[in-house]
Amino acid sequence: MARSWLEYKAPAWVQWCPGCGDFGILNAIYRAVAELDIPPERLVVVGGIGCSGRTTFYVKGSNAHALHGRAIPMATGIKLARPELTVIVAGGDGDLLGIGGGHFVALGRRNVDITVILFDNAVYGLTKGQAAPTLPAWIKTKALTSPNIHDNVNPVLLAFAAGYTFVARGYAYHTSQLKELIKTAVRHKGASFIDVLQPCPTYNNVMTNKWYEERIYYVGEDYDPIIRTREDFKEKLPAIMEKLLEFGDRIPLGILYWDQTKDSFEERLEKIMPGYMQAPPGTRRISVDGRPIVDPFEVFKDRVIVT
Amino acid sequence: MTDLNIIIGGPQGGGIESAGQIAVKSLVLKGYNILGSREYHSNIMGAHSYYHLRAKEDKPGSLTLPVDALLALDAETVLTHYREVRPGGIVVYDPAVKATRVDSIQPMAPPLKERVKKDLESRGLPTTAEGALKAMESEGVKLVGLPLKAMLRKVSEEAKAPIASVSKTVNTLGLSAMLYMLGVEPGYIEKAISLQFAGKEKVIRMNVAAARIAVEYVREVYGEPEVLPDGPHKGKVRMVASGNDLVAMGKIVAGVGFLSYYPITPSSDEALYLERHKYVKLDDGMAEKVGYDRLSVVAVQMEDELASINAAIGAALAGARSSTTTSGPGYSLMNEGISLAVEAEVPIVVTLWMRAGPSTGMPTRTGQQDLLHSIFSGHGDAPKIVIASGDHVEAFYDAIKAFNWAEIFQSPVIHLLDKYLASAMASLDREELDLSKVVIDRGKLVDNPGEGYLRYKITEDGISPRARIGDAVMYMTGLEHTEDGKATEDPVAREQMMFKRERKMRKVLEVLPEEDKAVLYGDPDADVTLVSFGSTKGVILDAMKMLEGKGVKANFLQIRLLSPFPEDLVADILSSAKKVITVELNLMGQLAFLLRAHTGVKPDSQVIKVNGRPIYDYEVVEGVLKALDGAGRVVVSGGS
Repeated sequence: MARSWLEYKAPAWVQWCPGCGDFGILNAIYRAVAELDIPPERLVVVGGIGCSGRTTFYVKGSNAHALHGRAIPMATGIKLARPELTVIVAGGDGDLLGIGGGHFVALGRRNVDITVILFDNAVYGLTKGQAAPTLPAWIKTKALTSPNIHDNVNPVLLAFAAGYTFVARGYAYHTSQLKELIKTAVRHKGASFIDVLQPCPTYNNVMTNKWYEERIYYVGEDYDPIIRTREDFKEKLPAIMEKLLEFGDRIPLGILYWDQTKDSFEERLEKIMPGYMQAPPGTRRISVDGRPIVDPFEVFKDRVIVT
Repeated sequence: MTDLNIIIGGPQGGGIESAGQIAVKSLVLKGYNILGSREYHSNIMGAHSYYHLRAKEDKPGSLTLPVDALLALDAETVLTHYREVRPGGIVVYDPAVKATRVDSIQPMAPPLKERVKKDLESRGLPTTAEGALKAMESEGVKLVGLPLKAMLRKVSEEAKAPIASVSKTVNTLGLSAMLYMLGVEPGYIEKAISLQFAGKEKVIRMNVAAARIAVEYVREVYGEPEVLPDGPHKGKVRMVASGNDLVAMGKIVAGVGFLSYYPITPSSDEALYLERHKYVKLDDGMAEKVGYDRLSVVAVQMEDELASINAAIGAALAGARSSTTTSGPGYSLMNEGISLAVEAEVPIVVTLWMRAGPSTGMPTRTGQQDLLHSIFSGHGDAPKIVIASGDHVEAFYDAIKAFNWAEIFQSPVIHLLDKYLASAMASLDREELDLSKVVIDRGKLVDNPGEGYLRYKITEDGISPRARIGDAVMYMTGLEHTEDGKATEDPVAREQMMFKRERKMRKVLEVLPEEDKAVLYGDPDADVTLVSFGSTKGVILDAMKMLEGKGVKANFLQIRLLSPFPEDLVADILSSAKKVITVELNLMGQLAFLLRAHTGVKPDSQVIKVNGRPIYDYEVVEGVLKALDGAGRVVVSGGS
């Protein structure tokens, strides 16, 4: 039987501004993990720095709050030490794509079984509204002294190019659709990425709920993002690229790309070190009666010389 | 008493490292203790590189100059090292290089060219390799010419392989000739070759053929040399390993589960060696005790040092013994992570192999310039543990202790070493890596934290029970927090946590044995006390004996724990010192600074070295004598 989402609600004052898109994402996370029946102590939410990073404290889990930009490497260390845990990264666009951009790319290359939820509001909210990497050029939000002259990065295309094997986009105020996306992403064995569009009612006075509602649509049942074979990839790539690139007057939501052919990093480790999953570094015993279990003269024979 | 000193030089990529290692192995097989280190450029191929080696009956603590034998595999080696061979020593070289002019050697550093030309001109000698050979000859060095080209042709015939494929044996030709001239019997050289290239039968055959041809040639031309007597360490099982190797070994013995790294000299070889042994089959008895039969270490090359430190922190939170390894530039990038590990109380071990800075500096050269950097790393009052190893044996044990301390005190531990120790090889006995001395202590790690668990519970010693991520609902953060790990900016809660973290560092000083804090070697009543840290240990211990021969009674205070600084212990020892001289490989006198800050003792003199080369025994002697003559700061500058 599934758990109640209330089991995941940590007793804390949620410090976000009224109307913030973060609330929708938080609710979707509560409901997704409840329906997936993940015991709170086995759930790890790793947050970055910024409004979104505070999610760490609002979800009951065995959580860690990272440095600015470093949620992905921290989550990687946790997951590889204890591959049996469910690890979710919650970060903003400044955190994951600005200061942490290198790690965002590296996670795709590794395909570690982590779900990255991007709280994408195109501004640095907590530091009072500076332009973030997803703010389109020539938009002037109210905190900017002049229009933004940086182009915006395309998070879903970047995730695809980096090697994420599950790429989706959701909208913060569509909690039940977002919940379903999170559930699928968490179930996927590999690096999964959800770009969650969200208004920042305090600082992004251009990309408002109205702005988004005029543009977003869900991909239809005729759109097939699933790659089951390499041939599939060739055949479906043009349609997938079209969806990944589409961002302007129309913005597609839903699962945009889902590659089911690749091993996760943990599976790759298991291939080169059979037994790793059964006795992972986080929980395996390292001593017997307080004594080490390996003898250097037995293990490091390549440095031993018998004279 | 044997005290054999050798330099083997040639172009990078020309087999200098393997020639050095074959020399090391030959002399270990012969029953000696060895110390050998490679000096090289930040370059893949072509720049000058050399192996510097010492063999003795007892343990050599220092490399030294001048040497007894120089093997010069090219003209640049002759011209770089011709002033480093003692009268009566030998130089093995190829007469074909004689005509090479200093100016025609492209990789040679322009300032060195100028110094060499000036020296040769002042002696009225030509500015060629021949000029340098004549300079050596006039000082009583024996010239041993080897026609390498003709010898390679012979190797090609013997091994029935084309010249191109045997040309790599040129180092073996030179090395075998030199070792034979020094009295090492060919059998040892051949056995060392087999060990060096174990598993590569064709390579062994070619190199053994080369060794025989070289030995035959020098025997014919120079006659049978006097045989070097066997050393006292025959018939033993020995370990011959570098500082890099020993730290990796220590980590595996300590139970490391996670190692993250980003390639950087001189730490990469530690990661590489650990990777080679990351998957260990346990014997059946042990497998039954621990519940698994294959020990696997997750070793991951990360995208940068920011990722390395934060991934290591993540793995530590999840319960693994977790570590990363780096050098100064990488450690700069890790600073914010260190601060997080202090605030969030994460047990991680950061191995910091110092090299010559500032900035990229001289990436492959040594120094002790990151002492203050390591202690003061991390913003915002971030106290941590810093331990410096003095030699190979300490490097092994410290790697293990670092994990114990990290977990006992739930703190980052910085294990401070340097490039010299990283690449230096030493011979060790089984008793020196004694597992009965090793304890695995995981501190207050709890397997079943239960309901209501508080990660940052306030305790008397400042240390809270620590649960793994995945075993309890909890919160870990770099924000200031309450006992449950929730972020807070409350002034009272803030103070409580600040002092909690401070109490842990007090506890470190309370709990650690004196031998892990500071150790005094020699007579407490000596005339002069040398104070140092890190890899200068063996050098200073050797220098003390030399000083005694000159009528100077010195003792040596080795500071092991640099943070938290054992100020009471050090102040107590120094209170009876008659004269205090610090020895360190940095410009600022960083240890001298710490001594003043923590004990109020201002050293009478400082001996420093900043040229990127290791310090030698005779330099410490020279420095101390000058200091006793009243010099405030003595800069020593040996090495090529």
